[in-house]
Amino acid sequence: MLAFLKDNLSTIIISAVVLAVVILIIINMRKDKKAGKACSCGSECGSCPGSSVCHK
Amino acid sequence: MIFALVGNQNCGKTTLFNQLTGSNQHVGNFPGVTVDQKIGEIRSVKNCSVVDLPGIYSIRPYTNEEIITRNFILENKPDGMINIIDATNIERNLYLTLQLIEMNIPMVLAFNMMDEVRGNGGTINIAGMSQDLGIPIVPISAAKNEGIDELIDKMLSTAKNRVYPKKVDFCGAGPVHRCIHAISHIIEDHADNCGMSSRFAATKIIEGDEDIISRLELNQNELDTIEHSVIEMETNHDMDRNAALADMRYTFIERICARSVVKCKESKEHLRSVKIDNILTGKYLAIPIFLGIMFSIFWLTFSIIGAYLSDLLAMGITGLSDLADTGLTIYGINPVVHGLLIDGVFAGVGSVLSFLPIIVTLFFFLSILEDTGYMARVAYVMDKLMRKIGLSGRSIVPMLIGFGCTVPAVMATRTLSSERDRKMTILLTPFMSCSAKIPIYALFTAAFFTEYQAIVMIGLYIAGIAAGIIAALISRRTFLHGNPVPFVMELPNYRFPSFKSVIILMWEKARDFLVKAFTVIFVASVIIWFLQTFDSRLNVVANSTDSLLAVIGKFISPVFEPLGFDDWRVSTALITGFTAKEAVVSTMGVLTGTAAAELSTTLSSLFTPVTALSFLVFTLLYTPCVAAVAAIRRELNSGIQTIAVVIAQCGIAWVVAFLLYQLCSLVNLT
Repeated sequence: MLAFLKDNLSTIIISAVVLAVVILIIINMRKDKKAGKACSCGSECGSCPGSSVCHK
Repeated sequence: MIFALVGNQNCGKTTLFNQLTGSNQHVGNFPGVTVDQKIGEIRSVKNCSVVDLPGIYSIRPYTNEEIITRNFILENKPDGMINIIDATNIERNLYLTLQLIEMNIPMVLAFNMMDEVRGNGGTINIAGMSQDLGIPIVPISAAKNEGIDELIDKMLSTAKNRVYPKKVDFCGAGPVHRCIHAISHIIEDHADNCGMSSRFAATKIIEGDEDIISRLELNQNELDTIEHSVIEMETNHDMDRNAALADMRYTFIERICARSVVKCKESKEHLRSVKIDNILTGKYLAIPIFLGIMFSIFWLTFSIIGAYLSDLLAMGITGLSDLADTGLTIYGINPVVHGLLIDGVFAGVGSVLSFLPIIVTLFFFLSILEDTGYMARVAYVMDKLMRKIGLSGRSIVPMLIGFGCTVPAVMATRTLSSERDRKMTILLTPFMSCSAKIPIYALFTAAFFTEYQAIVMIGLYIAGIAAGIIAALISRRTFLHGNPVPFVMELPNYRFPSFKSVIILMWEKARDFLVKAFTVIFVASVIIWFLQTFDSRLNVVANSTDSLLAVIGKFISPVFEPLGFDDWRVSTALITGFTAKEAVVSTMGVLTGTAAAELSTTLSSLFTPVTALSFLVFTLLYTPCVAAVAAIRRELNSGIQTIAVVIAQCGIAWVVAFLLYQLCSLVNLT
């Protein structure tokens, strides 16, 4: 087991980092959606005519 | 404490809001930029906020902007109001001021653009005007940050000491005066119960304001007496009720202006604007000049500046990807994880990211057009065309926003007072080519139409507009009968673009694009890589044609065969485009395993120029991303209608791309 971990340490670290990033992005997107910020329109919410709908 | 910032359209409310709060809200040289309220803390004053309300000309609840502003004042009962007016156009602006005074809320009048008044030889007797109106007045220049501290001091002292407007009887003597005062007495108790000024309520009742009448809960006897008074006023004054009230207000305004205002001569800015407009909005030149300007912008963006910067960034991303590739190989990383990083993340995110300079360059030019005041002219020029297809000129604002993004554009349709106009605008706004499609256009035009990039780009934008017009004409003749409501818009003077505004807009676009690339596109790229690396038993496939994704893609690809592109990778890219249109490019990058710089070359194996054009037309017209569909669902408030809109858009996209491809095949174009 230890030998496996030692041989594949870099792979495990990189996989863990990528997985953590993906999970963080998804958590953040879900949080934004709940907060009404998930407009994903590529526009600035402050100047959006419908900002009060998203940001109640 | 809360202050409401109220004023006419394009009189500098958002500029003053930014000065008061130190924020950077988008200031447009375009009437109606603010269509919803924005709140901000006043700098250097604790627990004190100001609410920027949409520009209005009266307190009558006809337009959405008027409803938002009026409801805010009536329901939130701010501690004070700042009524900002354009001092170069004082008479018209004071019309709203008189209605605000009637609401009997502590208020300060800010005379904006006083520098222009002085510069053009005009003067205003501030003390005299303040005496006549019964409210404090502060001369300011919001754009130059002049008089702002004095305004803050004045508004704080007015609100803290609850200094209400002095009772100025601007109805004079006569039938209107008698009518207003008679009604005021009748409704006094009701108005007190609602926390409303009886004079304000009386004038609104005379105007036939159903909302105020229902709020006051008047009985039938009172209503009959009021109606009798109003009819008597109309008879004695020989004017209808609305004209009588407008006449009363303008007579008072003329009287006080005659005493306190030395009108400025026509400003240099206005004279210059008129001269420029004679050319830019001329009957025959307006459309060719608009097309010429747009062609120049596209040419500079897609062939010169943006393209050069984009190529540089693509080379940088490829270099970084190669470096990561070498590093992963040296450290002996598992091939699957290696593939995930290089063929998934770097190829996917990198292919999209390389188009950042193109987006920034395009919005640099568009923000200049908006800030100079030209975009307002575009709305004016297009208004004639819009009316011909049965749409109100007001629909132009959502459509122009649609060139940035469909989501706020669809939301902006709520400013339209007619339900018919709203539905029609929602239907055609998604045909306006949003900025998320730019990476797709840039990629394909660079790969297949190198010499005619700008022409193809502008052609795509025009095709989108044409599709919208045809959709509007069809819907007008089938299920959305009727006539559009009239549209009034004030054209701002031309001005030199503000460096700050341009930079803010560019930064906002760049930031949002980056956020999208590293969130939605990142996750989409990882999912696409996963689906194209494993089969249904989660074994790593030697060839992606055996992958899970290929199974899905091959199932869908026959649909696109008549359009000239039946490769499963292309169909898959179109499907992922539902999440975000940029994902079409990142999916192509992941599925072809190509770095950003070489993606154009790789596409030659999947498309011919004609199939590429067919693909571009399909991408232009098919349904926008899921966020836009959600916005349509919210605005139409109907799942069935939303599904119908999505099906109609996909259907139109398929038919147009099919006709284009088959027509080209008939004349042996490849």
